[in-house]
Amino acid sequence: MKLDYAALFNALRPEAHLALGALLVLGFDIFWARHRPANRHHVALALGLLALGLAAWKAVTPGGAGPVHGGMLMIDTLTVATRAGVIGLAALALCLLPSPSRLRHPAEFVAILLFATTGFTLMAAANQLLIVFLAVELASLSLYVLAGFDKTCPESAEAALKYFLFGGMSAAFLLFGFSLLYGLTGSLDLGGIATQLAAQGPSPLLLVALGMVLVAFGFKAAAAPFHLWAPDVYQGAPSPAAALIASASKLAGLVVFTRLLWPGLGSTVGAIAHLPITVGWAPVVALVAGASLLVGNIGALAQSNVRRLLAYSAIAHAGALLLGVIAAGRVGPAPLFYYASTYGLATVGAFGVLSVLEATGPAQKLIDVAGLHQRSPLLAGCLAIFVLSLAGIPPLAGFFGKFAVFAAVLRLGGLAGPVGWLAILAIALSAVALYYYLLILKQALVARPAAEAAPVRVPLPAALALLISAALLVLLGVFPSWILGLF
Amino acid sequence: MTLAVQHLWLIPALPLAAAAVGALAPRSGRTLAAGAAIGAMAGSFILACLALAGALADPAAHQVFNFAWFDLGFGALRLGFLLDPLTAFMCVMVAFVSLLIFIFSTGYMKEDANYKQFFCFLSLFAAAMLGLVVANSLLLLFVCWELVGLASYLLIGFWFHKPSAAAAAKKAFITTRIGDLGFLLGLLWLQDNQGTLLFYDGGAGFLEAAALANLSHLLPCGLAVSTAIGLLIFCGAVGKSGQFPLHVWLPDAMEGPTPVSALIHAATMVAAGVFLIARVYPLMTADQALANVPVHALTVVAFIGAFTALLGALIAVAQNDIKRILAFSTVSQLGYMMLALGVGSWVAAIFHLLTHAFFKALLFLGAGSVIHAAHHEQDIRALGGLSKKMKVTYLTFALGTMALVGVPLLFSGFWSKEAILHAAHGWRVSHLPFYAAVLGVVLTAFYNTRLMAETFFGSPRSENAAHARENGPAMTLPLVILAACAVLLSLVNLPSYPWLAAKLLGEQEVRGHPIFEGAGLMGLSVVLVALGVGLGWALYGRSLRANSAAKDPLAVRAPGVIAALANRLGFDELYAATVGRLNAALATLADVLDRFVWGGAVDFLAALGQFTGLVTRETDERTLNGGFDTTSDKLRGAGQAYSQAQTGEAHGYLRTLALGFVILLLLVVLGGAR
Repeated sequence: MKLDYAALFNALRPEAHLALGALLVLGFDIFWARHRPANRHHVALALGLLALGLAAWKAVTPGGAGPVHGGMLMIDTLTVATRAGVIGLAALALCLLPSPSRLRHPAEFVAILLFATTGFTLMAAANQLLIVFLAVELASLSLYVLAGFDKTCPESAEAALKYFLFGGMSAAFLLFGFSLLYGLTGSLDLGGIATQLAAQGPSPLLLVALGMVLVAFGFKAAAAPFHLWAPDVYQGAPSPAAALIASASKLAGLVVFTRLLWPGLGSTVGAIAHLPITVGWAPVVALVAGASLLVGNIGALAQSNVRRLLAYSAIAHAGALLLGVIAAGRVGPAPLFYYASTYGLATVGAFGVLSVLEATGPAQKLIDVAGLHQRSPLLAGCLAIFVLSLAGIPPLAGFFGKFAVFAAVLRLGGLAGPVGWLAILAIALSAVALYYYLLILKQALVARPAAEAAPVRVPLPAALALLISAALLVLLGVFPSWILGLF
Repeated sequence: MTLAVQHLWLIPALPLAAAAVGALAPRSGRTLAAGAAIGAMAGSFILACLALAGALADPAAHQVFNFAWFDLGFGALRLGFLLDPLTAFMCVMVAFVSLLIFIFSTGYMKEDANYKQFFCFLSLFAAAMLGLVVANSLLLLFVCWELVGLASYLLIGFWFHKPSAAAAAKKAFITTRIGDLGFLLGLLWLQDNQGTLLFYDGGAGFLEAAALANLSHLLPCGLAVSTAIGLLIFCGAVGKSGQFPLHVWLPDAMEGPTPVSALIHAATMVAAGVFLIARVYPLMTADQALANVPVHALTVVAFIGAFTALLGALIAVAQNDIKRILAFSTVSQLGYMMLALGVGSWVAAIFHLLTHAFFKALLFLGAGSVIHAAHHEQDIRALGGLSKKMKVTYLTFALGTMALVGVPLLFSGFWSKEAILHAAHGWRVSHLPFYAAVLGVVLTAFYNTRLMAETFFGSPRSENAAHARENGPAMTLPLVILAACAVLLSLVNLPSYPWLAAKLLGEQEVRGHPIFEGAGLMGLSVVLVALGVGLGWALYGRSLRANSAAKDPLAVRAPGVIAALANRLGFDELYAATVGRLNAALATLADVLDRFVWGGAVDFLAALGQFTGLVTRETDERTLNGGFDTTSDKLRGAGQAYSQAQTGEAHGYLRTLALGFVILLLLVVLGGAR
């Protein structure tokens, strides 16, 4: 195997920029900004955005396509789009950086966020089991730290610990599954695995390996029954961290697992378009999707905490996204990517609104957003767009995401098979979901503010991030082919 | 310099941006909103002129710019922009008239509290109307079509605190919606049949020969498919352009501010139906070659147009409100345009559309000037004697009237009406529409003479009229410009040099014929106009009305007829008794179904959902939380820290993870072993 290190370096330019940026942020903080506490925040934010911007530029100009370094990485449209997407979502999350009073070490926070983004971009390109594992772990470890970053708040530490325990366990499953796959096929490379598996057919050991991989996948996507960490983490983690976990991490995770499941394990997919079902990973994913849809939507109904509600909504959306994964083999990853990225935008925005509110008082309960339209029309308007997009109201992007995914699923076999029934279930549950989304909007747009509630001042970076997210949701909803046409 | 077709979207985009500015501006931002609207309109006008230059460079070409909007199961849904002489002339006219009316509005609406909102709505309307004109897709056209309907609704009901205005807005919206339903059905049928809604697409658009050939097969009822689709689309035009039987909304729409009546309900939006039929003319004429069909689409268009032209002119004779007279006159003139379309001369229709836009906008603005000066007195019986008090308004109004009546040679309306009569005379199917049109000419001359005489001559018959004074230049300047256009526009399409017709038909060379070819017909219409004016003068001009309560001389002679006409021939009552009743009955039925049948089902499902939620919550609280509570209580009792209580919970989480894995594994292994 002839290895081309120049091509490898070329393919890893976004990651290199992000890592260097992270180090630069830290170094600048130690040697310069630490002594200027007034500017510390802004410097870290500006350098972080600069690194993300450069990385995004490098990501969209990959300067080559195809497998790199003997198939370790894969540079294709999906890679480019995902890298750009996760970097964009990370930049929006970064703009939500908490105020100096709540965040004593901004540089460390930004640096770790950049490392997490490095993990995401690497996940987008990974095409080999070891790289997949490495990238997932780099991202996960950074996210554990970010989740526990708010040391003034015990819930944050609790969230980090739970996330870590759960993540560690699923990482163990993932590694175990990978080693079984390696043992079965003698290859780490997804292409090699596919060839081997096609030759040898299903075996009980392969099914065990599949099950283990799917557990880790379920964790990363916050799908039932591996979702239990999500409500606690969303509730406790600092807003930018929660936004990152809900958006970029999910997008990167879905892309890396789509790559793993379709090009890598495509021969063991099984059939669920029509009865009878044949065994493979698709029936399991379909089952997980159905469970997530039910648990997420019904669990959200009873929530009085906005963040927990968003967590349950995330679980429900994970179910719909998994349907997109199943459909990706037939129609390509376009619907899945569109759904995941626009869902990410809406979630980052929703957490952004909460993070701005946090600066003025508690932002946990539904009643904490009461009367937002009087306290800040900007926040209330943006929140309306985000929540309506999550609920899937046209012409916002959330509607077309759902539309594209459900249409793709129905093309697999129409309504005649289990996967079609799942699409019907998802559409029916969308109606249920509207109820709890409107609960948020009822508080924000109709209810009166509490007596002591003051007008909210929105910091400039956060206002920009919110406006950009809202504008993108509208624009991508009106012109879905900007993304759908990429693939 | 010309405007390339891919930049054509800028023309509607500018007023749209102005509408956004107007919407976001604070209520006190009056100058900002009006300035943005007028500036954007001026920009659009310049761009429209550049587009016209581009279109005239190659009048035969349909320049298109298409793009995919989004992908659906059957392929991409595509929209586009189109530049040809028809689009370009319409663009220039809409932008120019809008610009003048915007300027007029700064004077007319000066005292209104919702001034900035008015300009926001006006800009929204202009954006939608220009979008409608530049669309190269029936879908995009339909979207803009609905948007102009919305803007019209908002503006008719602009003084929504008046119940009559709110009711008129609702009536306009709902009546046009009936027509739009037909339009939508035609659009869907066409999409189903052709797979595209683009007009022109390099040979693949539905107005091009290949597609039209697919539409000639016959339906079970004997109609060709193209006839059926064409008639469905015509339904939309009937609603929007106030044709019989959906004409009832247009006179009521005069409840809106007068600049709105001038712009939307005289010059532009109501003409959109005529434009639509002219735009899809190849589709409308696709069935002409078929001999064995019961009816051609254009035949229906011609008869409806002719009937409306006569009906509108008849009803206008017995109206007393200055704006309503003009409104029925608009209905009648739109009928003439439809007649021209129906008898095969779409060029004459567009020529009349353009000239009508100018002189009718002029008449409405003149009426607005009168109303503004006479403290919102609209009844012509209470006006009078304004010719001395309002010289500019009087002179320009007179010019507009002469154009509308068709005073020979000098006025644009004469030539465009002449073209229509000529076309109707040459129609081989029937001569009835021609006779209706001829009778309409007499009536038009008659009621306009009455309008002039009662409004401007004699002495003031009310306090309001006596105190009227000429308005400021913001209102008179547009009048003067429009009056100049009403006269000069005839120059673009004289029979001896039919430049406009040649460009619209895509000919480079302008071939005229001697001016007195068809002089017999022209002589006839001159005689008819003279007859109408003479009759009008004899009844209303010679012995002027003494006071506002005096009996109308015509009503004295034929009281029954005039009462029926004043009541608009009872169409409103008829519709209320039939369609309205039916609708109310259906609504009651739907209400009952909704309340008891569907409502019951929904209640049942909701109860089911609530029950499920209750069960989930109980399980959650009693079993899970209860367990955790016990654990934490015990741990707290043992003096353990709070974090350890959470560790117990995490155990549970991890256990679930493992359990989930086992379940998944069982599923795949059992499934695999089968």
